Amino acid sequence: MSGVVVGGWEYVWAAYAITAAVLIGYTVSLAVRWRSARERALRQTEER
Amino acid sequence: MTIATNSRGAALMALGAAFLMAGSYLGLFRAPAEQYMGDVQRIMYVHVPTAWNALLALTFAFGCAVTFLVRGGWSWDARHEAAVEVGVVLGALLCAQGAVWAKPTWGVWWDWDPRLTTTAVMVFAFAGILALRRFVEDPARRAVWSAVATIVAFVDVPIVYFSVRWWNSLHQLQSTPETVSAAFHWPLRINAFGILFLMSGWISVRSQLSRLRLSGELAPPLPAAAAKLAEQPAGGTS
Repeated sequence: MSGVVVGGWEYVWAAYAITAAVLIGYTVSLAVRWRSARERALRQTEER
Repeated sequence: MTIATNSRGAALMALGAAFLMAGSYLGLFRAPAEQYMGDVQRIMYVHVPTAWNALLALTFAFGCAVTFLVRGGWSWDARHEAAVEVGVVLGALLCAQGAVWAKPTWGVWWDWDPRLTTTAVMVFAFAGILALRRFVEDPARRAVWSAVATIVAFVDVPIVYFSVRWWNSLHQLQSTPETVSAAFHWPLRINAFGILFLMSGWISVRSQLSRLRLSGELAPPLPAAAAKLAEQPAGGTS
């Protein structure tokens, strides 16, 4: 055993994939919430 | 009530995405493999910036909570809620990235090491504050209670940061541009700014969503509801 980690690209890709999924997922969730807030605000304006 | 576009938040997110793509390209394909950890070390280019920004978001949440309690102002409550949520998202991501790094380097996905344990406590504590905010309907109580809870939970943040120095931890000491070779600087720095810009955009958009919800909660009743109330006998509450 040399004490050097050999290979491991599958872990690197997994870490970057998880990172991309979380960052994109949260951004999309904000966009969805933004859209529904805008629709709700427009509805309330019409009701008034 | 109107809702404007948040062009500043969108611009920050776009800038953050561009930085992250550039930094990740450098980290994955241009930076050399590390002497002992080999290619697995490339995980550091996303793990370390995530850690810095998670702690930064929660520190900002602490500042917002203190400012709300001292000076008042609903916008501070909105920023507080946004920063806690973003901090929890980044904290959870940090734990997931750390597990993927731990498996090839330590041989386990998770260890009850001081750094990992205090980080998990931090994520669950702030997630609990988000849950608290969901359960309390009164905006004033919700704001005060969650601000106090954030101040209490924030005690763990410096413990997370210093845990690797205070205890004999399996986790390595903090990685900074001063502690790593020059060849690793650029992907680390570019990704750090990428997540910083993205986080700032998130907090900007998320706090505006909170302000919108608050303006609805604090607004006077709608005319129709007011008219219905006026039809009730004077002084009658039944």
